[in-house]
This record gives sequence, C-alpha cells and structure tokens, in this order.
Amino acid sequence: MKKRSITLYINGEEYTITVQAHHTLVHVLRNQLNMTDVKHCCGRGECGACTVLVDDADAPGGRKPIDACMVLAAMMDGKKITTVAGLEEDGKLHPVQQAFIDEGAVQCGFCTGGMIMKSISILEKNPKAKEDEIRSELEGNICRCTGYVKIVDAVKKAGSWSTKR
Amino acid sequence: MAEYSVVGHRIPKLDAREKVTGRGMYTGDLRMEGLLYGKIVRCWEYAHAKVKKIDFSEARKVPGVVKCLGPKDVTQRSYNTTIMKLLVPEAFSDVFGEIADLYVFNGHVKHQGDAVCGIIAKSEEAAERAAEKVKITYEPLPVVMTAAESKRKDAPQFTALKPGNLAANFPEAFFPGGAYGHNAPDGKTAAQHMKEADLVIEETFYCPRQKQVQMENHTYIARYDDRGRLTCWTSTQMPKPVQNLIAELFELPLTRVRVVQAPVGGAFGCRLGMIGEPHACALAMAVPGRPVKVEFLREEDWVASESRASGHLKVKAGFKKDGTPVAIDAHYEVLKGGYYTHGSGPPFCTAAFMYGMYKWQAMAMRADIWFNNMVPYGAYQGYGNPENTFAVEQIVDRACNELGLDPVEWRRKWHKGIGDDTWLMGVKYASCGLDDCIDKATRAIQWNKKKKEYAKMKGRKRRGLGIGVMQHTSGAWPMLLEYTNLVMRLNEDCTVEMMVSVSDLGTGGHTAVCQMAAETLGWPMDDVHLKCCDSDCNGFDIGAHASRTIYCVGRTVTQGAEKLKQELIARAARNLQVKPGDLAWGEDKEIYCTWDPVKRINARQIAKESIYSFDDPATGKTIGIPGQIVVTSDDFVKHCSPPFSASCAEVEVDIETGDVKVLSFYNAHDIGKAIHPPSVEGQLEGGSQKGFGYVLTEDIYYDKNGLCLNNDFTDYKMLGASDMPQEMGAILVESAPDPVGPFGAKSCGESALMGPIGSVANAIYDAIGVQITEAPITPERVLAAIKQNGGVKK
Amino acid sequence: MSNSRILPEFDLLVPQSVSEAVDMAARYGDKAAVLAGGTDLMIMLQKGTATPDYIIALGEIDDLDYIKYSKSDGLRIGALTTITQLIDNSTVKKNYPALWQACKSHSAPQIRNVATPLGNIMRASPSGDCSCALLALGARVVLEGAKGRREVLLDDFFIGYAKTARKADEIAVEILLPAVQNGLTSSFVRLTRTNFDLSKINMAVQLDMSGKTCNEARIAVGAVAPTTIRAKKAEALLKGAKITDELIKKVGSAIAKEIKPIDDVRSTAEYRREVSAVLAERAIKACL
Repeated sequence: MKKRSITLYINGEEYTITVQAHHTLVHVLRNQLNMTDVKHCCGRGECGACTVLVDDADAPGGRKPIDACMVLAAMMDGKKITTVAGLEEDGKLHPVQQAFIDEGAVQCGFCTGGMIMKSISILEKNPKAKEDEIRSELEGNICRCTGYVKIVDAVKKAGSWSTKR
Repeated sequence: MAEYSVVGHRIPKLDAREKVTGRGMYTGDLRMEGLLYGKIVRCWEYAHAKVKKIDFSEARKVPGVVKCLGPKDVTQRSYNTTIMKLLVPEAFSDVFGEIADLYVFNGHVKHQGDAVCGIIAKSEEAAERAAEKVKITYEPLPVVMTAAESKRKDAPQFTALKPGNLAANFPEAFFPGGAYGHNAPDGKTAAQHMKEADLVIEETFYCPRQKQVQMENHTYIARYDDRGRLTCWTSTQMPKPVQNLIAELFELPLTRVRVVQAPVGGAFGCRLGMIGEPHACALAMAVPGRPVKVEFLREEDWVASESRASGHLKVKAGFKKDGTPVAIDAHYEVLKGGYYTHGSGPPFCTAAFMYGMYKWQAMAMRADIWFNNMVPYGAYQGYGNPENTFAVEQIVDRACNELGLDPVEWRRKWHKGIGDDTWLMGVKYASCGLDDCIDKATRAIQWNKKKKEYAKMKGRKRRGLGIGVMQHTSGAWPMLLEYTNLVMRLNEDCTVEMMVSVSDLGTGGHTAVCQMAAETLGWPMDDVHLKCCDSDCNGFDIGAHASRTIYCVGRTVTQGAEKLKQELIARAARNLQVKPGDLAWGEDKEIYCTWDPVKRINARQIAKESIYSFDDPATGKTIGIPGQIVVTSDDFVKHCSPPFSASCAEVEVDIETGDVKVLSFYNAHDIGKAIHPPSVEGQLEGGSQKGFGYVLTEDIYYDKNGLCLNNDFTDYKMLGASDMPQEMGAILVESAPDPVGPFGAKSCGESALMGPIGSVANAIYDAIGVQITEAPITPERVLAAIKQNGGVKK
Repeated sequence: MSNSRILPEFDLLVPQSVSEAVDMAARYGDKAAVLAGGTDLMIMLQKGTATPDYIIALGEIDDLDYIKYSKSDGLRIGALTTITQLIDNSTVKKNYPALWQACKSHSAPQIRNVATPLGNIMRASPSGDCSCALLALGARVVLEGAKGRREVLLDDFFIGYAKTARKADEIAVEILLPAVQNGLTSSFVRLTRTNFDLSKINMAVQLDMSGKTCNEARIAVGAVAPTTIRAKKAEALLKGAKITDELIKKVGSAIAKEIKPIDDVRSTAEYRREVSAVLAERAIKACL
C-alpha cells in the first residue's frame, strides 16, 4: 500500500487520517496535523529534538520515549502518543516543564521540547534517579546551548514528583 | 555592592514558558496562506567544478513544481555573506581587501554544498523530488585542500579578484611588515628581540575547523508582496544589517525590505550575516505574492554554512629564566574555504587576543589566508581567540615546566591589567578581575591539594590539573562600528514600549535588557515591553556579535530609560511649577518636591494626560502637558571593556587507550556585574561544552576529493550529557565592576569557549608530561604522542 | 543524495503473521526490505543505500517480542524484541553478560526502545555491538522461508561487509543462544569517541572456565575487518590453558596481528591495532 488510514491518539485526542507509507511520524505530526511543538532537526534519531512518548505496557510509567523521525507514521496505528503540547493540564505546567523554567534550563529552546519528554521518561522510570543515571539517560538528546548543566539540575529538581499521572 | 530590585536577580527568562510548552514558533513552524517550498540545489558530487549545463526538463515534470531557477533567473549581483563592510569605513574595507565573490547560484563551484540552482514547488516533498531530478553537468576542477596546494603557481584560481589565491593577510597599510603587534622598547622587532630570551619555545599548532552546530536547521521564509515589499523571516543574528544587505542585493530601498527576526534556535556566530536569505528572497521574487519557505537539511549545515577558521598556527615565544615574557612571534596559515566571507577577521583577532593577554616585550603575528575547497569559515564564538588560547596557554605551561616556575603564579604576574593595552592597541583596560578569577578557580578545584596528590601517579589512569586564562571583548569598538538606536514610548497607562533591534540567541538578551530598563526606571519588569525583531519598527542596531548585547545595547537601554525619567521630571516640574532639580522619585511612580513634599504628582497622571489632554471646559485651560512622551537613545559606544576569565580543569587520561575524561572544571568569569545570573551561567556552561569539543572531539573531516566525511551527528562528535564533567562550576566574579559597562557589566557571550581549551590541554600535559599540539586531542593523538616521546613523563 | 526529511517512496506491506511475511518475501525477493525496529533501515532509506520497492513491516505481528530461556533450548530472542527489553531482562543480565553489556552501552534510550538485536545482526555492520557479543556467545539466527525453517551459526552468517547469508525469500525470526552452564562467563568492551557513539572498536569474550583453566574461548572483534570476526588464533592460545597475565599479553598480541583494521573517519588502523591488545586484557579480566 502507498497510503494507509490510521488512527493516532495524541495528547488524549483521536485523529483518523490517511498517511503516505513513506512519511515518518514527525513529518505527519508537523505537516499533516500541524503539531509544530514537535521539532525536526537531524531526522536520523541522533538529536532527540522530535522525542515523543508512546504508551507501552512494558515501559515503566506506562510509556517510552522514541524519536518520531525514526518510525513510519503508517506503523503507528492505534498508538497513544504524548507530545510537549499534551503536558499542560488546565494551564498548569507539568513539574518538569516548570523545573526547566525555574532552573534556567532553557536557552534557545529548540531542544527543549524533546529534552522535556526525555526527562519525564527518566523520572517515570525512576523518580529518585541520581546524576549518573540522569546523564546517561539524557543521551540521545543533544543541546548545544546549555552544556546540560541546568538541564540535569531541572531533572533533579522535578525528581520529587511522583510517577502518578 | 548596590542592591538592585531587578538586575542581578534570577528571574525566569521572558521566553522560557513558550519554549517549554512548545508554542514558541521558529521559522519552520510558521504557517502561511499559499506557502510554497523552495529547495536550493547544491553540488554534492564535487568540491571544485564548473557548471557546464543545468537541465530542468525532468525536474519540471514532477507534480507540484512551480518554477525552476538557474543562475540567470535571479539577481546577477554578487555578494558577501557578512555584514563586515557595513561596520567599517569604505576605505578601510578596501584596504583589507573585502570582496563580494558569492552569487545566489554559482557557476564555479568552490566547495561541496555550493548552491547551483533552485526549485519552487507546492510541497516540500515535491521540491525535494524535483531537486533530485535536476541534471547538472559538471566539469570537475583540481581540488585544492591545503595551503601548499593553494599557493602553487599552477593552482586553479578561485577568483580573479584575488590572483594567486591569497584571500587575505594583514595589509601593510595598517600593519607594518604585515604583522599585528609591537616592537620592543628599543625598537627591535619580535624576531630580533627574541635573542634576549633565555628560553625559546617554537611549536606549530593545528587548530581544527569546528562547526557551531546550532540545533535549529537554517530556515527562511520570504515573500515579495503586492506592494513590492520583500519580507524575509529569518533567525539571523543581525536583522538590521541583513536588511541592508538584502536591500543592496535586490536593489530595493530599505522601505521595501522587511526583516522579521524569528526566534533563534541557536547561532553561536553561524548566523552572523546571511546564509540562506539571498536564496529564499531570490526564489520569492520569482513568484510575487507567494511566500516561499526554504528549510535546510541537517546534513547541509556542515557544507552550506560557515565554520570556524582552521589551519596551522606557528608560535615562537621567548622567556627569561625568571619567566619574563620577552617576545612572541607567530604566523597563522589559515584555510579560507571557497569564499571570502569574513576574510582576515578571525585571524586578526587571533593576533589581537594574543596581544591583549600577556605583557610581552615584543609581539608580532602575521597571517596568510588561502582559498581552498572547504566550506568557508565565518564567525564562531571566540572569533580567533580559541586558536590563540590553544597555542599560547600551552606554550606558557611548557615554559613554566622547563624553567621550574608555577603556571598559576606566572599568569598572575604577567597578565595585563588596568592601564595596559587591550586587544586593540591604544585602548586601555578600565577593569580587570583576573586575579580574583584565578583565586576562585584554583580554590574551587582544590588546585594545591590535587596537584600534590597527582604529582606521582602510577598505573594506567593518570590525572592532571591545568589552568587556562583568557580575555575577550565586550563589543567591537574600535575595530568595528558600534551603534544602537532605541526608542522608548510611554503608554497612556505609564508602561513603556521599548523598541530596539536587540537579538536574543537563547542567550537571554531580551530578558536582560528589560531588566536593565526596569531597574533604571525604578519600575516593575512587567511595565516594560520589548518590541524587537522587526526592521519595520526598529532603528539601527548591529545585532548580536562580539559579545556586545549587554555592554552596548545595555548602555543604550539605560540611557533611554534615564531620558524617559528626565522627561517625566521635566513635565512634573512644569506641572508643579518647581525646578526639575527640586524633584525626586518616590514609591510607585510618584514624583515629589523635596522641599515641599505636598507638591507631588504621579507619573501615571503625566502619562495619561500626555495623550488625553483636553481643554477643561470650566477653566479653558489645557489639562496636563500634551504630547506623548517618546524618547530616542543613540549610543555609538566609544569604549571596550574586555572580560577576563580563569579556568581550571582536572582530567584523567587512560594511558593505554588515550581516552581523556574531564573530571571537574571551574570557570571563573570576570563579569563585572551579572545582569541575569542564570543566563551568564548558561553561557559559561554551554560555552564549556563547545570548548571541550574544540580541544577533545570536534573537527570537520574531508576526503582527498574535498568531500565532507562527517556532516552528521554520527561522525561530528560533540560531548553529550554523560561526557560532560559532573563537577562543574560557573563562578561569577563581580569584584571588578567596569566603569563603562551598564551596572558594571562586561560580556560573557563568547568568553566561555576559551577557558576549557587552554585548561584541558594543560591538564593533559600535566597528567602525562607530553604536550599535544594538534586539536582535537583525540585518543589516537594521545597514544601517538606518548609513543613518540618514549612513554609517559612525569 | 541524502535526505534526512523525506524518504523515497515504497509499497508498504504489513503482514499479520510470520507465514504471511514469508509469503511476501517469497513473492518480492530482492525488491523487498524487512522492517523490524527500523533504526538501521530508516537511515539506509534516507541515504539511498537501500532502495526497496517494497517494505515488509513486521511491527504488527503478535508475539514476536519474546525472551525465553530454558535449560533445553537456551535463550530465544524474538525478531521484534527491543534492546530495552533485553536490558530489563534479569536472565539475560545474569547468563549472557556480554550481550547485556553490549545492549546497555548501545546508543540512547529512544533508539534502544525501538531497535532490535536481530536487526543489529541483519545490518551486519562490522561495528555492531550486539553482533559482536552474539558472535562471541555462539549465537544462531533462525530463518523462516518458503522451504521451511533453518538455523545458521552467526559465524557463517556474516558473509561480507553489510552482507548476510539470508536469502531474499527468507525472514529472520529469532536469535538462539546456547543454554549456559557452570564456568561460562563473558564480557563486552568497546571504545568510542563520545559515550553516545558507534564503536571504533569492540570486543566480546566468552570463556568456558574450570577454576583458573580456560577450556574454551570465543573472542569476537568488531570494526577491524569487513565483518565482525572471531580471533581464532588468539582463542587457540587460551584453549586448555591456565590464564596468567603473561598469557593475556600473548593473546592481546595475537589479536593485534589477526585483525585487519583500516583508517576511517572514526579512528586509525594503527590505533585500533594498538588498543585491541588493551581491550583483550580488559575483556578477559572482566570475565574472571
């Protein structure tokens, strides 16, 4: 098939769309669904700018981070996905978002969305994650502005947040 | 130290919230009615070639293609990507030899990635598919990669404007003997004066072609509208100068060119000038009325936007037995890349910062800059200073080692300070906090304790400590124009519209200028709105470069705020019928007469009545003083206040594999006054990651045909979160506030890159007793150096 | 030309069972590529090093992501089992430390959550970390084809640079590792430029020990030849020998002589040769 009709559940909303077989998830999110909160940078799963969370029963916290540029949208039928735009609840920021602001972990902001999604997955896996684990798990998300210092500080600060969603 | 109510406080950055919610819109996120997609077709196959034929016939058949454009279909004017010629007098530019050797579409391909033609299509995909189908016939030309190849008599010529391929050097007209520097007190040149030295060290350093690697891909939207106005959305660092360059390139008056500066997803010097603006605009002019978006691929970044300068820096330095720096004589052979762009700018600064650091009795540095088939170099944080610190900091440590001197004490003794010349001869330092920086950095890393501990290590892991000091600049005066124009308008409700074209590259510049405005006014931050990023409503400002935003734009902001306050005082004086000198500011915008406090008026009333100025029907008198308060502030900065810093690094070298790990790192920076401390720390921390990259992992590699081997994250290696040292400190030293900088502030935007370079290289030297003079200091180079020296020496 | 945003077009096939996938492979042969995790294939598509007309995507086949261990069958890893799933498996960690370590140091979380060790084998890159560990551990690849099921020893599976013994009408469905017994120990080491990186050289060692004596050794080395290789001459030195520092040094020298590294963008032949002896020492000592 060159096209496929799929249903994606993104940030709690249902989207039934027809996608081209060769389009990646990041392409569909940004261009078909106008979800520009997911950024596109390297397209090769190396920089993490397009990190989103996908529900997975096996994953700690029930969801796992993936690079949206590395999966075909057509193969994501039925998947439940969370992007940066889905974190806020009633205008209240997710603790990790708030920690990024408070700790000064945002400079140019281009990596920030993906970095926040990765940070959430780190804390959902282990709310008590220490520095070694945080830094190791942050790999796959590249920041050129911060040297990662305040990003790690932000993750530690948000670490007191529980895994309850 | 004064206690401020807003300046110096750790408030959230103004743009932080929209960036954490993902609602911040970069150029690539903008959606517009009728948007078309432009694709720049580049030469990927060759680093050097002539374009013989461009065949669009197959490309045109791709559904969705709107137009295919060759070199003759766009402006025929040549240009230079940089704004440099705008920042120096014309005669100066001529003497320095700046040329405009670039075209929107080039028939003489001078590096892989050079732009050859363009496609406009209805979708990004159609544009990409069509681009693949363009058939270009090339005539390959011999590839020139090294300076030796470039200077040969029979070398292919890059441009008729520079016969012999010497892109630039230091012109004799300004630099006697082609060297930047100064003679000894008795008139001897550095080379001659070297004879006075007891110890002479001569070494050649390889300085790598580092890439900025900002995370946002270069993206532009341009539209030539029904009024004949050309608008370009871009994340350039220099919106107003770029507006000038676009106007010149497309022969339009400034009133018909609008540059909208989109949020910048990182720049680091890469966007200091134009990259894809000419192409996006050229494509837009071909489809009037329709916006055209051009979005670079990540793999284009390394081949189609400028890098750091690279080449071989040969340094000869002489010292007396007691460590007195006698003379330094250097020659930098630089690889320009395919186009002129910044010319001798960065190498000149290598010389300049070499001059500004230590009290050499004589100094001379020459540079020869050769065209070659690499990506052209441009601006990158540090702008020539990294090369200087990589070489000189190591030479100092080697001299100290051979003379039995302490490298920390040597630097304390011989660094320049207040009253000495800065990087530009004749301009003196007005402040210097370096001694305090050295104290704080060495103390933080426990220098004495660890030095003792690591002096006699055995085993396969060896640790070492290194220090690196640096000085940089705050603004580019007197070398370049420094000018910012600002307008402050008082709203009816006594809040302020501040209109100035200030660039924030993620650096926190927007937040800091608002802090400075609010502090000077004595009003809350919320009362100041910054209107920037639009050439339609902003006066001239250079943009973000030479670490000028706080120092230069900050001065204009504080001066504007003072003017606004003065105008309010003047009006209050008229209203209260007293002299302006009789008035003082009270709480909450109140203005009162000091000798009769009953006489008072609130600034809010003045603001309201400045607009709502009615003739009172009862008295026939005019209410208030009419005329909205609008002040202009102009600042042509005539000072430069370089910041200093001292960095200490602790490394561990695995002498069996050559792997180097940075265990801890402290950078004490002479900031004068940190307007927004988290942003200053952020610059120091982020700059460190790039500094470590320069000295340990980063370089652009080419094969023998000039084709790039690592234009991707797979093989252009940067330190990640787990490579960075866990123990890292950005120490803000405010003990030497600057008399000129706003609130005593000096810059930090570029400085942080240099500290890691000198200190890590010296730490490696300390750990293994062998100095490695080629950066990046990879494990391969470490092992080879140990082998060549017959083992680890301690 | 490389394009990191738009993939070339292809016909997507989404089988719902292994037999359906096998039918598709039989029908389209060389014109089809198989997509499991996709972390290699997606990049090859972008770079133009793979230009399939069809892609057989296995992602919707149930029950292909298993990790099963038994004393009789050993370890069975399904085609869709991800690197993350292996890391989270305590049996893998305990019984096959080389594989576990190779998975742990592999790339980054987003990739590990999607990439598969079987995919690492099918990519047959000589620097593949999982390939290296699995080769040392004596793994087999299980293939399903029109003509039925067959198992191929990994030693016989890598037949050239990025080439495997898989026939065009076959689907790789499983990795098999022998069950472990007492005395079996393994380790994995690698060198990179930064932590998140492809290996510039990697090495996996499996030792079958009786006390201080090594009955049998398997040493796999990567990024030093067109495929991951076994250092058989070095292994022979360990067979039946008591492990001493001196023997370890000899083994290291033998490996350095056996490998055929080249200069590339990641490292140099000279460096790889020199450090191979160092890695050998570290890998062997980590086993003991």
